[in-house]
Amino acid sequence: MRKVWCVAATEYQTAVRSKAFIMGLLALPLMIGLSIGLQALAKRQTDLNDRRFVVVDRTGVLYPRIEARAQQRNEFLKQMGTNGSPRPAFVPEAYAPVDDARAEAILSDRIRKKQIAAFLIIGRDVVEPKAGADAALAYHAQAQTFNELPDWLGQVLNEEIHRLRYVQAGVDPALLQRLGQQVPVRRLGLATVDPTGRLIPAKEESRAAALVLPMGAMLLLYMLIMSAAPALLNTVLEEKMQKISEVLIATVSPFRLMLGKLLGCVMVSMSLGVLYLGAALYMLSRHDMLDRVPPHFFAWFLLFQVLGLLMYGSVFSAIGASCNELKDAQNLMLPVMLLIMIPFFVWLPIAESPNSPFARWISLFPPATPSLMMLRIAIAPGPPLWEILLGLALTLAFTLCCVWAGGKVFRIGILSQGQSPTLGRLLRWIAAK
Amino acid sequence: MSMTGKRGVALRLEGVSKTFGTHTAVRCLSLEVPAGAIYGFIGPNGSGKTTTLRMILHIVLPDAGVVEVLGARGTRSANDRLGYLPEERGLYRKMSVRRVLAYQAALKGMGCAAARESIDHWLGRMGLAAWADHKVEALSKGMAQKIQFIAAVVAKPELLILDEPFSGLDPVNLDVLREAILDLARQGTTILFSTHDMAMAEQMCDFIFMIHKGRKVLDGTLTAIQSQHGADRVRVRVEGGAAALHGLEGAQVIRDLGQMQELHCAGDPQELLRALVARARVHQFEISKPSLHDIFVSIARPDSAEGGHA
Repeated sequence: MRKVWCVAATEYQTAVRSKAFIMGLLALPLMIGLSIGLQALAKRQTDLNDRRFVVVDRTGVLYPRIEARAQQRNEFLKQMGTNGSPRPAFVPEAYAPVDDARAEAILSDRIRKKQIAAFLIIGRDVVEPKAGADAALAYHAQAQTFNELPDWLGQVLNEEIHRLRYVQAGVDPALLQRLGQQVPVRRLGLATVDPTGRLIPAKEESRAAALVLPMGAMLLLYMLIMSAAPALLNTVLEEKMQKISEVLIATVSPFRLMLGKLLGCVMVSMSLGVLYLGAALYMLSRHDMLDRVPPHFFAWFLLFQVLGLLMYGSVFSAIGASCNELKDAQNLMLPVMLLIMIPFFVWLPIAESPNSPFARWISLFPPATPSLMMLRIAIAPGPPLWEILLGLALTLAFTLCCVWAGGKVFRIGILSQGQSPTLGRLLRWIAAK
Repeated sequence: MSMTGKRGVALRLEGVSKTFGTHTAVRCLSLEVPAGAIYGFIGPNGSGKTTTLRMILHIVLPDAGVVEVLGARGTRSANDRLGYLPEERGLYRKMSVRRVLAYQAALKGMGCAAARESIDHWLGRMGLAAWADHKVEALSKGMAQKIQFIAAVVAKPELLILDEPFSGLDPVNLDVLREAILDLARQGTTILFSTHDMAMAEQMCDFIFMIHKGRKVLDGTLTAIQSQHGADRVRVRVEGGAAALHGLEGAQVIRDLGQMQELHCAGDPQELLRALVARARVHQFEISKPSLHDIFVSIARPDSAEGGHA
């Protein structure tokens, strides 16, 4: 055990003194900061050139309303100035004659010449639709990626068309608007009763806030595993390529060497984890969200972090030991990375229904268990205890298999030279005595 | 000094064999290395030397036979008392020299203070004290090679295994390293020393051991080996050179060295001398012992009859 600790301590010291560790330490806050900063910057960098568009109004009544509403919108944006996110002005232009059969071709050509951004053809019968009638709103643009204009046109025109229909039907549009007013739904948590029997009302909740903890837990666990486990591949491969391995395994058995490396990797990840979890606790307490963290959350987090590191760390060590160059290692990493990414493909439906049969069985699939079980634990009331324990047991068994198989591949692979690893060869090494 | 096996034997191999797939790398190899000796380990490339060294270090396990190192039979328990310098060398390039050496010492179970003292001693001896806190990547090839040697000896091993320790060294560094190895031997360290440099093996080794095609083909002192392989060898310098020796009864020219010729003498060398004097003027006649180089080549050359036998 002394040698395992010796290897672990050296791996730990080497890792925490490296630039990669400092980068890893700063990666998460840097990524969050960058993403917020870039989004804010991008908003301010919107193309604010006027969006000119042509309306072919075959009803003969809707264009003036579009022009008026566009003017209102542009005035409002002007008043807002730099408060809020700046948006481009919409500048409509009427097309005549409205029955021109060549209008579509002419206006398409104007778009190609960059004279206008889009054009809209309003069907003659949109206010009174009949079977087979010309009752469509046809929006034409070269690129359909800019949504704001067609969305605005759709909203404005539908409101106007509804208003015209109400008037034609003899209904007062103002009365109808008052009667049809929407009633908002407030999203609240659960009420509690304090020891004196006093009711403590439920707090306001939002979907985004409710997703912060589970998503954050899953992301943090993923990041803590990925910040340390793949580095094992590099160190083992470096030792092999630099011909250091032979001296090492003349002193330490290959299995102990791998265990020492795994332990070092766990220690590195734990150090990062302590810093990040501390920062996360501070942020949660500042935003009065600490009570959202379920009891035992940190114990489960720690357990799944260690298991995830041992599971993926042993696989990455074995890949490093079996390869002779980085290119081979990258090929073998691909299937492992796909397994690691499973939680990211399925997290949203699981967050919406954390106790569905799908959520249950996929969170019991060992390669995905650490992240997905933490996601489920972070959503109140969390999965039943037996599911967490079953997930833990299955992951532990799978991890032991990975460490055992990884150890066998490591033992043979570390001395093999000149052979590109294939799945068949790796299986033979695992089966070897 | 050392805790060695029975009768002062540092290393014993008994009928050791190792096969990889269909290729037998080592066949029924037996060897006894006395404690405190310098044992030269020679053999052509691919003869099974590295496999044998790896079996001694328990990096690979033998299919048959027993490996006993410093009294430990078939286990790695003596590995902390071994030092190993492999042929293919490497060091952590991003670590400082002192950290690399301290790591090796710690793995061998050496305490921090003793390790520091040993590291300082060896760095000073090798003229590398000023480089202790530099990263390995800043060292020249020769310096790195000396650091690798220090890594092998820093924990004061009882048995030191050196695989081609002098390859790539300039004459000055070669002398420094040779002197260090001889000093260790004088202090009682057993040294198993693999080399392709036959002259170096002749100068340094108490015993020579040769392996060829996985089998032992030589084992003993240099004198004993030479007696076995060279009593019938004569070097002559005669007027007329090699042409004067043509058709000489009882002798056969092995090598024409230009001014001298080497003969294989089947009978009595005195009879050969008389026959030579009768033919030509003899300037030099020497009953010679073959060099280790000659013995090696005679065994290892492709058409050798000796090569396949122990």
